[in-house]
Parts: sequence; structure tokens; C-alpha cells
Amino acid sequence: MLELFSYEPVLRGFLVLLVAGFTFPITGVYLLRLNLLPLRFMLMHGALLGGAIALAANINPFWTTILVNLLLVWFMAQTARSLKTDMGYVSIFIMVASMGVAFALISLFNVQAKDTMSLLWGSIFAVDNWQSVAFIFISLAILAFHFIFYRQLKAVFFDTTIAYSSGVNEKLIYNTVVFLTALTVAVAMKLIGALLIDVVIILPALIATLHSRSFKRVVLWASLWGGMFSVSGFFAAYWLKVPTSSAIAILATLVFLVVYWQKKVSSKRGLSNVKRL
Amino acid sequence: MIVTANGQETFFSNSKWLYPLFELEDFLKSNTISADNLFLTDKIAGKAAAFLIVRLGFKKVHIELISEGALAVFSRFLVDVTFDSKVPKIQCATEELVKGNESPDAVWQMLRRRAGRVSGLSLSVESLGIAIDGVLVLDSLDLKVGKGDHVFIKGDNGAGKTTLLKAILGILPISSGRIQIGDWQVGTSEWERNRSVLGYVHQDMVKNNFPISASEVVEIGLAGKRMPSAEIQHRTEIAMRRTRCFHLATRSYHELSGGEKQRVNIARCLCQEAKVLLLDEPTSFLDSKAKDELFILLNELWANEAPTIVVVSHDDQWISLFSGKVFELSNGKIC
Repeated sequence: MLELFSYEPVLRGFLVLLVAGFTFPITGVYLLRLNLLPLRFMLMHGALLGGAIALAANINPFWTTILVNLLLVWFMAQTARSLKTDMGYVSIFIMVASMGVAFALISLFNVQAKDTMSLLWGSIFAVDNWQSVAFIFISLAILAFHFIFYRQLKAVFFDTTIAYSSGVNEKLIYNTVVFLTALTVAVAMKLIGALLIDVVIILPALIATLHSRSFKRVVLWASLWGGMFSVSGFFAAYWLKVPTSSAIAILATLVFLVVYWQKKVSSKRGLSNVKRL
Repeated sequence: MIVTANGQETFFSNSKWLYPLFELEDFLKSNTISADNLFLTDKIAGKAAAFLIVRLGFKKVHIELISEGALAVFSRFLVDVTFDSKVPKIQCATEELVKGNESPDAVWQMLRRRAGRVSGLSLSVESLGIAIDGVLVLDSLDLKVGKGDHVFIKGDNGAGKTTLLKAILGILPISSGRIQIGDWQVGTSEWERNRSVLGYVHQDMVKNNFPISASEVVEIGLAGKRMPSAEIQHRTEIAMRRTRCFHLATRSYHELSGGEKQRVNIARCLCQEAKVLLLDEPTSFLDSKAKDELFILLNELWANEAPTIVVVSHDDQWISLFSGKVFELSNGKIC
């Protein structure tokens, strides 16, 4: 089994997956707390657009998706500000437009179906050295932001008006969360593909939210679940001869169902105890 | 002014006007000394000084030059007073402000404001106009609140009470006019740097399910400030003890009752060292016992730090318990 790691791409892919698995779910917690789920859809489609542009122009998809997602986030923020409207509405518009342009490009430039599929599924073994550096850099940025702004984050997640009146720069926090998410989604596409980005970002955070009672524990558990899914998904994929992304996705979904069912049962039990009292 | 205990000098002050008495108040408070067994000697005392001495709890005093009004105050509160000479009145503007039949607390509060010993900042709203979706909600609204005053703004639902508070907070763009808090105009960069002087307790409570304990909510008051975690814990504990909610520290905020949540929120404002408190319908989710507790808590707060307090509410019965000014917001204007 361990002879797998004698291949450099496999070892590199595994390490990148491990780093991302532990850190990317932290942005998932932010997205859930700030109710930015439409934003993540936009970024997923933005990542597809970036990939489509790269394939059509025959340039590196990894860096192109990062650039496209950052541009989309900037465009979304500017549009929301000038129209004085919610970012969620703007993100839906951008999401649809991105998808339309992406498919048009794929069709116009006769992009091979195999290449398009690689965007949808990703591959951890195709990560090169510079991309690994980007993963590590983004992971460190997420950790640094989380620990430096921990108290401010907690205030914003509790109530933005109260955070504002306490002197917290809630716009900076919000914009940094959006910016970090854009980076995370863009690079995660390389690992796990556009369709399954939620598996490394949202699902661990969602599971942690179901069973943790403090912000600190939600973040800790989201990170632990993300790391565990990455490691176990990697080995499960090897044994089951399936893509790593799908192995991680199936595993995470099963854990989510178990935790969700357990929560339902325990809340029902709690209710019946209350009734008995 | 000299204060002695069993012939030993315990306090001395040479300051002017009524400041020695305020300094003495701080001294007694910080050393938790009761004035019952202390003896106070001062050169001169009018009605104002007499009220402050009575409020401090002195039972025995000697005044070199006393006014007849001061003598009447001492005798009304059964203080054993001796003096060298008596005059009909002391020539001082403060003497004119005190009638002699007020309560010591009322005189103390008035004098404390004159002495600038309140933590509250003045609030001034001039010709404020706010339009939401093209509808003018507030129209040329004027409001002045002095340092350390507490005022109540009542009005029907939808009258614009919450809009006014949000404009004061600086989170709603204003169409016309200006809002000044202390030395800062709301919306300027100086204001942005100092906006934590405003403590806000809003109407809706917090409805999300963000997992957070009561003490963590209080800590939010310090989220905009850089300080060591030991200092944060210390300040949080003091604020929670003062609002009698320290026993709730580890409880989930969302599991607290309406009254407990208000205590926690006021502790948050205390922790923040807010100079102006904005309370939006604070009794909305409270039963009568919790309303009474909130009344006591706000009065305590006002008696100690004296922040400026602006309360918007349509709970006339609860408002009538307070002594502050009451304004009515109607048709976008303060009446």
C-alpha cells in the first residue's frame, strides 16, 4: 500500500489533499454562517468558466480559474455596491452567465469531452509543484485569517449590527471571507472537480454544525471531518478503484446521513423526555 | 475638607467647589468604607454640599461657615452638625439650583452632570431626513440629549423609532441633516474609529442559531479592541457580575430567557464601555418581572457610570417608571 507514495505525483497529491482537507472546511463554516451559499454556486460555475476559457485558449486551467473567480468576486462586489443590492442576487446572475459562456466556449472551440470531464471531476495526481505551493499558501492564509480575526469573526457571525457597533470592521471581515472562498473554490476544483467542491468545503462544516455546540468546536470538527474524509477517501479510492473525488464524496455523504439521523433520534428522545416530565 | 476616623485623618482635599465631595465619594467607594463612623470637617457648606454629605452617609459633621439652607438639609436627614458661623445663603450659582426639598439622589445626579462626572456623551440630531425606498421615514427631525441624560422615544409601530436608532448607529444612509455624538459627526472617519462608544441592544434579539455562550456574547463588546485574553476575561466577568448574569456565563445564549438575554446584552455594552446606550424596544420579549429587573438594572447603570441612554419603546407603562424625558415620534418628527 505504502509503495504508492514512492510515486511523486501520488505523494504530492496526497499531501495537498490532506492540507486542503483540514483547512478548506473552515471557509465552509464561514459560508454557512454568513449564509453565502449562492456565492459558492457562483464560484463553482466561475471555476467552470475559468476551466473552459483555459481549455479553449490552451492555457493553464488552474491559474485561470483562480483569476476568473477573483475577477467575478470583484465584479459581484462592485455591482452589488453600485446597484445597492444584495450580493446573493448578483451572484445568481453571474452564476447563470458564467455557465452560459462556459458552454458556449466549450462548443465554439471544440473542447474535447475528456478535457471537460476533467474539469468536472478533477484529479489529485495532476497537481504540480507550483500548484502545491498555491494550496499551501491558501491554507496558511485561511488559518492566519481565522486565528488573527477569531474574535471579530465570532462577532460578525453572531450579529453584524452588534459587531459593527462594537467597533468591528465587519465589511473587511465579510470581504475577506468572500475573497478566501473564491480562492478556495478555484483551487479545490483541481483536486476534486467542479461538481464535488462541496465535499471538501461545505459537507464537513455542515456535519460539524449538526453536532457541535460552540463556534470553536464547529471549526475544529469541520477541519477534522475534512481531514478524515480526505485520508480515508484517498485509501478507499485506491482499494475500490474509483476516482478519489467520488470516494470522498460517498464517504462524506454517508457520515452526514449517520450524523443527521443520530441528531434526529436524539432530538426526538429529548422531546419525549420533556413530554414525560 | 478633612475626614477623620477616631481622631485619625483618613481623607483630605483642597480642591475647589464640590469636587472634594466627589473625590471623597470615589475614596469611600474604592476602599469600601462606610461613612457612618467618620467625622467630616469643611470650611463652607451650602445646600448642594449638604445634600452630597447626606448622600455619602455622614452622621457627624463640622462646618465653619454654613448656610441656613444647608442647616435645614442636615436637620431634615438627622445629621449631627456643628458650625462656627451661619449665613442666610452662600453666594454661588449652584446654591440657586438646589431648592432644598429634592431627594439627595436627584441633587447628586444634577450636580454630577454639572461637574462633568458622567461617562455619557452628548447626542445631537439636527434636521435629520431619512428616506427608505423613496418614502420619507424621518423628516427634519431634531433631538438633543445631554451628557449622561436618559431619554425615551415612544411612537406607534412603523413610526421610525428603529430607523432613528440605526441612523444614530451610522448603519443607515441619511438623506439630510447631521448626527453628532460627543465630538464626532456620525459617518466621518473619526467616527468610524470611535464608533464603539455606542452600545446597541436591538429589538429582534438574535434569531440565528450561531453556537455561542452568554460570556462569549459579552466578549463581543471588546471584539473591536486589541487586548490580552486575560484582560478580556477579567472585563467580561466584571460586566457580567455587575449585571448579575455571571451565573449564566457558560449557558448557550439561545437558551436564555428574554430577561436573561437583556442582562447579557447590557453586560456586553458595559464591557464595551459604551458611552451612549441605544435600546430598541428592550421590553418586547419580557414578562413583568423581567421588566422590573431591567428597570432596576438601567437605574443602577445610570446611577453609577451615567452613560447617555436612549430608549425607544411603545411600552408606556414601563416608560412611566423612569424619571427621564419622554419624546413622541410621529410623522417623522419628534414632538
